Amino acid sequence: MKFFNSERPLLWQTVVMSAMELYSPSDLNDALRFIEHKDGKVAVIASGTDLIPRIRKRQVSPSVLLDISSFTADLRYIRRADGIVRLGALTTISDLLESPILDGELSIIREAATLFGAPQIRNVATVGGNICSAASSEDLIPVFLALDASLKLVSAKGERTVPLKQFIVGKRETTLKPSEILAEVSFRPPEGHSWTAYEKLGRRNMLIIAMVNEAICLTLEDDLRTVRSARIALNRVSGRIPALALRTSDFLKGKRVTDETIAQAQKVLASELSLTSDFRGSGAYRTEVAQVYLKRLIERCARHIGGLS
Amino acid sequence: MSEQVPQLLDSLRAKAERGELLYIGENIVRVDSLEKVLGSPVYTADLLPKGTVYAKLFHSTVPHGVVKRIELGAARSHPGVLGVLTSKDIPGLNESSAVLLDRQLFADPIVRSTGDILGAVVAETSPAAADAAARIKVEYDRMPTIFDPLEALEPDAVKIHEEGNVAKQMKIRKGNVEEGFVKSEIIIEKTYRTQFQDAIPLEPEVGLAIPEDGGVRVIGSMQSPHNTQAAVAKVLRLPPEKVRVIQAVTGGAFGPKSDETPYDVCSTAALAAVKFRRPVYCGMDREDSMVMHTKRHPFVISHKTGVSRDGMLLADESMIVGDTGAYASLGVFVIARATFHTVGAYEVPNVKADSYLVYTNNTYAGSLRGFGGPQATFAFESQMEELARKLRMDPLEFRLRNMLVPGKKNATSAVMDASCGLPQCVQKVVESSRYREKVARYSNQAGSLRRGLGIALLMHGNSLGPEGNDYGAVHVEIRSDGSVSVGSGLTEYGTGAISGLMQIASSVLGVPLARFKLERPDTSKHRESGPTVASRVVVIGGNASKAAAEKLKSKIVPVAAELLRVDAKDVAIADGVAFDRTHPSRTVQWDDVVAEAYRRGISLKEEGFFMAPPAPWDHEVGQGTPYVQYTWGALIVEVEVDTDTGYYRVLGAHTAYDVGKAVNPGGVLGQIYGGTVQGLGYAMMEELLHKDGVVVNPNLGDYYIPTSMDIPAEFKAFIVEVPGPLGPFGAKIIAEPPIILPGPAVRNAVLNATGVSVDDLPVTSEKVLMGMKGPAARLG
Amino acid sequence: MTKRVITLSVNGTDHPIQVDATDRLIDVLRDQVNQKSVKEGCSTGDCGICAVLVDGRLVNSCLMLAAQCDGRRVTTLEGLLEDPTMKRMQGNFIANNAAQCGFCTPAMLMASWDLARHSAHPSDEEIKVAISGVLCRCTGYYQIIDSVREGCRRE
Repeated sequence: MKFFNSERPLLWQTVVMSAMELYSPSDLNDALRFIEHKDGKVAVIASGTDLIPRIRKRQVSPSVLLDISSFTADLRYIRRADGIVRLGALTTISDLLESPILDGELSIIREAATLFGAPQIRNVATVGGNICSAASSEDLIPVFLALDASLKLVSAKGERTVPLKQFIVGKRETTLKPSEILAEVSFRPPEGHSWTAYEKLGRRNMLIIAMVNEAICLTLEDDLRTVRSARIALNRVSGRIPALALRTSDFLKGKRVTDETIAQAQKVLASELSLTSDFRGSGAYRTEVAQVYLKRLIERCARHIGGLS
Repeated sequence: MSEQVPQLLDSLRAKAERGELLYIGENIVRVDSLEKVLGSPVYTADLLPKGTVYAKLFHSTVPHGVVKRIELGAARSHPGVLGVLTSKDIPGLNESSAVLLDRQLFADPIVRSTGDILGAVVAETSPAAADAAARIKVEYDRMPTIFDPLEALEPDAVKIHEEGNVAKQMKIRKGNVEEGFVKSEIIIEKTYRTQFQDAIPLEPEVGLAIPEDGGVRVIGSMQSPHNTQAAVAKVLRLPPEKVRVIQAVTGGAFGPKSDETPYDVCSTAALAAVKFRRPVYCGMDREDSMVMHTKRHPFVISHKTGVSRDGMLLADESMIVGDTGAYASLGVFVIARATFHTVGAYEVPNVKADSYLVYTNNTYAGSLRGFGGPQATFAFESQMEELARKLRMDPLEFRLRNMLVPGKKNATSAVMDASCGLPQCVQKVVESSRYREKVARYSNQAGSLRRGLGIALLMHGNSLGPEGNDYGAVHVEIRSDGSVSVGSGLTEYGTGAISGLMQIASSVLGVPLARFKLERPDTSKHRESGPTVASRVVVIGGNASKAAAEKLKSKIVPVAAELLRVDAKDVAIADGVAFDRTHPSRTVQWDDVVAEAYRRGISLKEEGFFMAPPAPWDHEVGQGTPYVQYTWGALIVEVEVDTDTGYYRVLGAHTAYDVGKAVNPGGVLGQIYGGTVQGLGYAMMEELLHKDGVVVNPNLGDYYIPTSMDIPAEFKAFIVEVPGPLGPFGAKIIAEPPIILPGPAVRNAVLNATGVSVDDLPVTSEKVLMGMKGPAARLG
Repeated sequence: MTKRVITLSVNGTDHPIQVDATDRLIDVLRDQVNQKSVKEGCSTGDCGICAVLVDGRLVNSCLMLAAQCDGRRVTTLEGLLEDPTMKRMQGNFIANNAAQCGFCTPAMLMASWDLARHSAHPSDEEIKVAISGVLCRCTGYYQIIDSVREGCRRE
């Protein structure tokens, strides 16, 4: 057990922190016991690509950091078996790019990973870190929402599985219990006549916090024209919370893919979105772009599935 | 490579025989390249001696107010803290101001922006200093604020400085604009706005001070060691000789490091060094720098321009307002350059301009590459595009009709002479971009992706012009081992200009650049040569270097002549070998000539000095010759706009600059590529934002500069050489110009692709889309 | 004051180092192992000029806590000065004027070397992606891309 606490007031750059501890547990179970011991008052750090800049910009000042970056044996894997894809929480973005498993109808993951950050960030940023930060700046969340992913959460007392769509409940707010760590993200590759796609818009081409980030998983009926299901997710639906666009999805269910229905779906999306403005872009502009992307994503998927004449 | 050496030597000798320039116009290996690719520890932060302590600056948190109390108790008692410096600790003058004496080092009692420095914590470690600084509490009596420069001009506006909110005013009165407008069949009135840009040198501002014999040695990242020396001496109340300032290798500058920030950082370090008798490092991190250093001035520029129906410019009236934030800094000269360039590269017979440099409570603005040129050129080149559209004339044709060529007069009525290479620049870019063919093709487009081309032309007055006496000195010394040492108060910070200086000396002497050594600019060794700004090194420094080298040559040649037993006039030196022109196989090695000169006690250390001729102009009417020569340029960009989202890419950039003589062509291209990309950042994505006077995005995750993924796939750059009257071998400046044209060229390309006029920079995808959806939008 | 002792392998040499919880890898590399080629430009992981290789992967050393690097292998530019691929890359940087102020140069070289290991004939697009995480303000990237294209070719 490696544990230390510096007695002099420790400081992170310009942030005043009375005493920041870093605990590096020897394995996952050790980590979970430590969290129990600390009543959940810890900040988990894996890559630090989200947490460290936030500490630096004085947005958070955790007093205890729990370093889980060394649990690669337990938590870094990409597996596909029995019709389920499982990603360990420490899977990096580069791992996603390099995996031969994530192709075909799962190519959305690689699309998103290609546009994610820059090489140095991709090499360390993790799937788990992306999801747990629950921020609209995290590119993979809409992707996993579109894939209807489930999360395995573990604690010293056991484990539970929750759907991702129920996990994020507010801006940077999740239902993760203080005693829990996210261990795995899993999903079933979409079956039948399905395809997935992704779009992202920022101020420049790479290394951006997206203004609009939108993902879709479209499944058509055997007639290849009618929508069986359309899971649409965005980095922001209401306020700054990544979520599914449920009303738009509901609208599309059972409809034929035509210019007319897409135009109507765009209107539903516009009314469903309640986007705030910030210095990157106005809510009105983001809403416009989200609608444009909806059309592109549906058409791209439908074309691929072969249904669009 | 080794097989090429004999051929190289032969060609050099042939050139020397003919008396031609040796290395000028050749790509050279820059003298400072090796240390950079080796990652050598040559920057200021790499040079900290043992026992160095750290100073962390703390600044105001309100944009306008009177400081009532500063609570230092918690900071002082923080572990590791040696002390906290405030204005009370300044033995000399509490001043840190580049031009107008309107700014203090540590603001007391009035703060005028959130970038105003209040003091510094000095501690054993950097984290301790920052931690303690965060514990300082300041109480202010807040005062009303102004953030809009137009508001600051109103008669009843809150006064930010005692003397009022206008720091400087300028005028141009050429001809009679009223008569011009009467004759104009078309008149357009429009207002353009530009934003705060941050230079983002990758190394922020830093300084190291070491106490030594009754004074202090300062090493830092800066553009002007002598100005820094004067500033530090004033604060510390020391004679300048007791303040030795050395410029360390500097990781980028672009302007702010020639303004107050190096004085701030070095004075603070020096104060602490003297007080605590320890070496002190005062380093800004990125956020500190973006809050506290100078930015590019945002401008509001209104033009009323009249043309005849056949497309001749007849009159232009402009109101030019620059927001200098809380302090003027170099803004007094930025406004001058912007004013003189108000109608850019065109002849307008009647020009009236009124310009104002205005204070607000934003963080302050000062020098940044281009120095008023980008703002003025954005406004007028955009106006030119609007006029062309109104005239239903091709934008290129309209520009060709009105552009400056030899014989025409610019806004200050200076007559362009034969050294005006603008037509050649235009021709190159029109050809390279296939402008005419593409404009024809793009006049009829279908689909949601639309392409368009945009042009902008440049006139750029060289060097300091009206900003002050423009002079410089360069020392060249031939050492006993035959190596040549070059030193100057002029500084290198990435431009390669100092290598160019050395290349000139190398060429004059006939000794390869590999034998040259660069001395770090040092106030104890090198003469004051003004700040390294305004791209002046090649012209002023180049001429000084040439002068020094020529003096040395006149001493070396007689010695070589005697050794070769020929007349001096028959001696040529090339590639480190002196030879008899009439019998080239008779040679003597450079090292032997030098050894002989030393044996004879001949001094081989010379200083070359050059002062630009005065630039006389009438301040009342802004007429005369504020610049002695001009650099010319042209840029055509092609964009592709996704008209559904407004997002666009620059597909290609074709650009040409008349640089007079390219001393180091690879270096010139480097400036063109780098400056153009920095200009694309200004055009497309960069803006430093304030909200209620607080900088919103002082970090590189929220302030975007171009990455390798943002550069145009096609970039063609051309060097045009029409020798100018001022620079060595006819050279003109190149370091600043390339940042100027992308703003308007991109804006005009987007206009041609989409019909949307974006009149305020940066041209964002949101402005493009919202412009298309608005009532004024029309496609095609 | 309690510090942790970690073992950091830097350029093939093991260094036992005392670190605080908040020491970043960049701090330890510069201040305790004297690797001055590692530069700090933004402190938020956005500029990449602090990039080094950790266990063979390019990472931003300003975003890693030193304590997280216990037992890991770090490579900096200083460790590659004798490497033939790096020398070839450096020579090309010099010949093509790819280093202006030099502050991004070590990180650019690390990213370029990393690419060269995997690819002898990268496309310009691949080169741009490889260096997309290192910002340069001076060169506009073109001369760097030329250098990397040539530097990747094995003689």
